[in-house]
Amino acid sequence: MKFAKVILFCLAITATFGFSSLVDDPIPYKKFGYTPQQAAARLLDRFSFGAKPGQVEAVVSMGLENWLEQQFAANLPNEGLNKRLAAFKSLSLNNDTIVNRYLNAGQVIRLATRKGIINRDSIKGDPKEYREQVRVIMEQEGYKPILELHRELVNQKVLSAAYSNNQLQEVLTDFWFNHFNVSVTKNQCQQYVYTYERDAIRPNVMGKFKDLLLATAQHPAMLEYLDNASSVSIKNQPRANMAAPRNARGLNENYAREVMELHTLGVDGGYTQADVTTVAKALTGWTVMPLAKDAPARNLLERLNPAQLERRGFVMKGDFLFRADQHDNEAKTILNKNFPANGGYQEGIDVLTMLAEHPSTTKFICTKLATRFVSDTPSASLIKNMVKTFQSTDGDIKAVLRTMVYDPAFWKKSVSHEKVKSPFEMVISAVRATNAQVIQPFQLFNWCTKMGQRFYYYQAPTGFPDRASNWINTGALLNRMNFGLAFASQKIPGVRMDLAALNNYHEPESAIDALTVYSNILLPQRDHAANIKRLIPLVNDDAVEEKISKAATVDKAAEQMILDKGTKNMLSQVVGIIIGSPEFQRK
Amino acid sequence: MSSRRAFMRSGAMALFATGIAGGIPAFITRVAAAGMPPAPYKKNKVLVCIFQRGAMDGLMAVTPFSDMELKKARPNLFMDPTNGAGKLFDLDGQFGLHPSFASLQPFFADKRLAIAHGVGSPNNTRSHFDAQDYMESGTPFSKSTSSGWLNRAVGLMGHDASPFRAVSITGALPRSLYGSQEALAISNLADFALQTKGNPMAANLTAGSFEELYEQTSNRLLNRAGKESFEALKMLNVNDIKNYQPVAGVVYPNSPLGNSLKQIAVLIKMNIGLEVAFAESGGWDTHFNQGTLNGVFARNVRDFSDSIAAFWNDMSGYQDDVTVMTMTEFGRTVAQNGTGGTDHGRASCSFILGNDVQGGKVYQQIGSLAKEQLEDQRDLPVTTDFRSVFSGVANKHLNINNNNVLFPKWEGKALEILKG
Repeated sequence: MKFAKVILFCLAITATFGFSSLVDDPIPYKKFGYTPQQAAARLLDRFSFGAKPGQVEAVVSMGLENWLEQQFAANLPNEGLNKRLAAFKSLSLNNDTIVNRYLNAGQVIRLATRKGIINRDSIKGDPKEYREQVRVIMEQEGYKPILELHRELVNQKVLSAAYSNNQLQEVLTDFWFNHFNVSVTKNQCQQYVYTYERDAIRPNVMGKFKDLLLATAQHPAMLEYLDNASSVSIKNQPRANMAAPRNARGLNENYAREVMELHTLGVDGGYTQADVTTVAKALTGWTVMPLAKDAPARNLLERLNPAQLERRGFVMKGDFLFRADQHDNEAKTILNKNFPANGGYQEGIDVLTMLAEHPSTTKFICTKLATRFVSDTPSASLIKNMVKTFQSTDGDIKAVLRTMVYDPAFWKKSVSHEKVKSPFEMVISAVRATNAQVIQPFQLFNWCTKMGQRFYYYQAPTGFPDRASNWINTGALLNRMNFGLAFASQKIPGVRMDLAALNNYHEPESAIDALTVYSNILLPQRDHAANIKRLIPLVNDDAVEEKISKAATVDKAAEQMILDKGTKNMLSQVVGIIIGSPEFQRK
Repeated sequence: MSSRRAFMRSGAMALFATGIAGGIPAFITRVAAAGMPPAPYKKNKVLVCIFQRGAMDGLMAVTPFSDMELKKARPNLFMDPTNGAGKLFDLDGQFGLHPSFASLQPFFADKRLAIAHGVGSPNNTRSHFDAQDYMESGTPFSKSTSSGWLNRAVGLMGHDASPFRAVSITGALPRSLYGSQEALAISNLADFALQTKGNPMAANLTAGSFEELYEQTSNRLLNRAGKESFEALKMLNVNDIKNYQPVAGVVYPNSPLGNSLKQIAVLIKMNIGLEVAFAESGGWDTHFNQGTLNGVFARNVRDFSDSIAAFWNDMSGYQDDVTVMTMTEFGRTVAQNGTGGTDHGRASCSFILGNDVQGGKVYQQIGSLAKEQLEDQRDLPVTTDFRSVFSGVANKHLNINNNNVLFPKWEGKALEILKG
């Protein structure tokens, strides 16, 4: 008896202590009437590109909290994915190699000029012949067309999203890339877009926000995309021994404005036009190492002594170059804070750090995260809690996300399945739900384009708006239905699946049975009853028998066609309808 | 085997066969019966809006060349009408049209093209996103306006509810068309069909299933978009689009804008109730090496001008009913920047083309470009509110007079730019 009491006492203590630490708390889904399976499905909907068959049960059995922490750690092995990516030649290259191998338009013209295919005055000529000549020369010299680089960029995104075991890392890579958008459409930055994602975005997606901001600010892709690479102080004339790039002789405010409006403070974050100009001045001299071998600046730089440059305040960090000779040295005031004269390289770092830590930024970033992961109109209390965590953890993204998932607002029934998938999310979730094999990822990119999301090509620094109304309209919706049909009937080249295998080769008893079974496989833990009920009259028409026999006499060929293709055809039809249905568009 | 047979009889056959007799979804029957374009809508006036995203340099498009301050501020970008081969078209002794507007210039000469200059928003934001948002919502100081001005225009006209009443040839619906009135966004009209090739019975059932499911969904957005999609499907004859031939001699540039305007022309000629059409033109954010006679800006202008001119010529027979209006979120700095381009500024200009237009005139109240006269000592000040231009066109061409609904909280006056 006494012994039993001691045991109980100990248990009570364990329980109390267990609940005292936040992370040891269970995720509060029960209070809101979710079963563990439903809650797991909800986590997979929001923190992965969609559940694979059987994955809901796997997450339940390992524990939802453990699954989340595993995704935060993002260190699961990825052999399958790596095997798929192994064929791509550009993914491991550095910027220097890329720039000198995959030529952009300007480099091609310089090459063609050097080879005498064109001279400066007659670029026109016969474009077809010119292109062929250029192609031959590029092949001879070991250059590659830049389209190959873009193709691998697109393909790796599709494959990583579909097959990476570290799903949350990929979801966040998509999110932060879009937040710090750069675009292949801009010539000056197109060669750097992949390394931008690989080196500046992906390693930082769950780290500190300010590290992410700095990594993007110093990457050649961003420096070129928003023109900071060519923004120089008007005050300091470039020295004779460092030839400034042609046409680069003044201040450009583009990055300074967007870094405040889009990346940190938000448009209502409390800055003025004067702040924009002054931030631009603070970032003068922030540019890209000259990488192209045929560019005169590179030759000059290579001849200079690094120690000497360092003494003069130059900073070289990978492909980032701080040119002290182009920096505005005057004292500055930004957002009412004073920056003394001669701040040099550190001044830019201090300005960006101040922006990253600003209260407006905290609120702006937390709202954007909640909009992506919870609802298009997240509640004020949720934002408040996320902001608190942001501020107490020095902007730790992982901690902010953890607060979000453990907040009751995440589990309100009113926000369940209310987010509409972006086209990319929709396409990848179809791949995952059907265990599809993607051999030609670019085909899926083409479908995303049709549905309104030509990723990596979005021109504006805003990135794609994260609102359902941006994705759902008449034309785009029709293409979603068409995608479902083409996908499931295996009409998309290089995308294969075995639909019967998903149900262990049990043949459905009827079309309604097929709808029921496959709805539950493709969209686990949702209520499909109403939809199926709605389709019953359509399929089980009273006069159906009569129509069938009529059809048989009228159209023998049609009947034969049906019988030949049999169940397989029916199944792809049913799956196509499910993927194109409204329920599949939601997450 | 027995389960398979059962399945084939009761389920699959039903699934595939419903369409054969009597079970064909109503809309497919209607479209099939129509055979020819149905034309159930009376001929309405059509307003075609083109948004130049990125902020067009109005001072280079339509240059106040007589102001020597401009020449001082942009020594490498300034052009004038006496400047050799690539000279500006002299419009009125004060303003000159960029030479790449060659294809539109004749319409100015025959007084069907008007230009409004010094146009912009009272909100001095120089953010693309914000300025576009304000211009498209039509409420320059309120972000919370959920509808776009063109959507409200459609509502005020109050005509038949054709699903093609408001169409944007874009991948996504533009802010201008957000709102409670149905609006369709599509980048390629030829894609506007359910692609169920092969078995026609299966196709019918698939379409029917989708229609049922979208009607059922509790998500209002998906529900509404679904309904609109199926209504639109009933009306559009995809073959007419694929085989479309413009008026003899008209060649649309093979560019995004050229293709958009061509599709708008198709819709207009189909008589399916189009009243407001929207297209976009990109690449105007010329921070870098903008060029003069040649270069990025000139190339963009040529495409812009040639696309509109092709559209207008293709509209032969419809021109009395159509007006084209262009817009851009703001203009660019008066002075050139350090990288051969121009930065975000304030006022720019708008082009209005139509038979009702009192054209051949630059509507403007632009003053001196001396630095101290400029907004923030750098930008062309806004002397004409964009709402004056938009309402001026909408009031006369679309016969809408309720400007306090079209542009809430605005008390300005519409610009008298159209006849009547």
